[in-house]
Amino acid sequence: MGVVVNAPFPRRRRLGNALRNVVRLVILGAWRNWVRNLGSTAPALGSMTLLLLLAGLVGMGAYAVQRVAAAQAESAAVLHVYLRDDARPQDVDALRQRLASDRRVASVGYTSKQQALERAKARPGLGNLAAASDSNPFPASLDVKLRSVNDVGALAAVAADSPAVDPVMPTSYDRGTYRRIQTVLTVLSAIGVAFLLLLGFVAVTVTANSIRAAILARQHEVRIMELVGARHWMVRGPFLVEGALTGGVAGAVAALLTLIVSLAGMAIGAGSFQRFAPGVTPVVALIAGALLVVGGLLLGSLASLLGVHRELRTA
Amino acid sequence: MPALVELIGATHRYGEVVAVDDVNVALRPGELVFLVGPSGAGKTTLLRLINREIRPSSGEVWVDGLPVHSLRSARVPELRRRVGVVYQDYKLLPRLTALENVAFVLRVTDLEVTEAEAHDRALDALEAVGLGEKADAFPDQLSGGQQQRVAIARAVVRQPPLLIADEPTGNLDLETAWQVMKLLEQISRFGTCVLVATHNLEIVRRMQRRVLTLVDGRLVRDQPAGRVGRLAWASS
Repeated sequence: MGVVVNAPFPRRRRLGNALRNVVRLVILGAWRNWVRNLGSTAPALGSMTLLLLLAGLVGMGAYAVQRVAAAQAESAAVLHVYLRDDARPQDVDALRQRLASDRRVASVGYTSKQQALERAKARPGLGNLAAASDSNPFPASLDVKLRSVNDVGALAAVAADSPAVDPVMPTSYDRGTYRRIQTVLTVLSAIGVAFLLLLGFVAVTVTANSIRAAILARQHEVRIMELVGARHWMVRGPFLVEGALTGGVAGAVAALLTLIVSLAGMAIGAGSFQRFAPGVTPVVALIAGALLVVGGLLLGSLASLLGVHRELRTA
Repeated sequence: MPALVELIGATHRYGEVVAVDDVNVALRPGELVFLVGPSGAGKTTLLRLINREIRPSSGEVWVDGLPVHSLRSARVPELRRRVGVVYQDYKLLPRLTALENVAFVLRVTDLEVTEAEAHDRALDALEAVGLGEKADAFPDQLSGGQQQRVAIARAVVRQPPLLIADEPTGNLDLETAWQVMKLLEQISRFGTCVLVATHNLEIVRRMQRRVLTLVDGRLVRDQPAGRVGRLAWASS
């Protein structure tokens, strides 16, 4: 009587089989079910696409606003001290030295009346104003760059005492401007975040419910899988992949639309768009698109995780 | 021979109702055991306790060395892979063929099995239950008896040490039911412990195997194999 020997199966081959089975059962199985149930997934897909599209556009807008805020913060730290047209050179030099020697000041520059006029002509709207006057209405100025934006008010008071300074409009300092910008930005950010959180909640809830519906539609199969001893992840895995697919597709569509809107805006608006959304370049739009796809995958996975957790409980 | 299944003071309550009441019993490998009793006696609850579809309210349930009563949910699949289950309503997947239904179990429980191996083993199991020629038929193309055979093939394809069957002949005529029971008997001869909950007293009497009688959740009689005794609840 012979002896049956079970030859050991090569480890690499066993791993290969396991990998193939995981791909076939979890990923391809999920893909087949997702395509088959596209009709019931459509509401989740739509709401998540809408959420991600809005997130993309709001995100791009926020990026542009953040760039504007950074520029504002930078310019807020520059104090323009306007000089009288009839200011004596020695008074101007004295003021300049006094400012330059102040520890709060990083640097002091000088803009002549002619340079001020040239700059004004380059600005939209001010060019016409400059042309309408026979004389040059723009004053010469000392451009004081401060180390901290908080010192602008104190330096403006120091400069205003000088006889070289225009008594009507001594400096560019406007007490509440920077603070108002910051307040507006904070409020806008809070509204944007709250809006996106609300949309996120709706999208996650709708997707979780669509996953629950998918589980209910296949509860017979799920029940059999559980009864024959399929591992928990094997039962839950396809549903998680389906959720991730929904999120991924929604993210891809949202990314494509965001990219199209951004590129179209850049192409059509050219210079004007650049001013409208400073810092938004094709690279930035591509990065935003990639983030939307990743965000979609994560949101979809989270939503299906919730749906699976609520629907599939073991004794 | 050590017990494959052991219930020690197993009790299960559904709210105020005691479905299984302090049941003590041990089943050994290779045994074919019938579980009989009137409707609502707790037969299905007992099977569900063994397969950890529910937890006992008190007492212990051991299957093949696993403490089912305290088993973490993550280890339940490990238990289920040691227990084949056959139901009255077959529970076959309608969009899969007979062969695919059987192979499905192998695919979802053994990641290392190849397509060819799953196919061959599923076909072997179908041939063992006499349905090799119907491998490509869908469930709705098979009779009730044939569907139950597919379900049995699916339950034993992994060669589990324990097979539990809940009213496997409930939807079958007497002749077909008898064939299915003979099949379960053959399976037990290969060392598998088979526990069958049934109402079919005619078959129970003819098989002359060990009979456990449940009444109101209590094990009122444990009749050894080879005896033809009166079934206490049937005479009442």
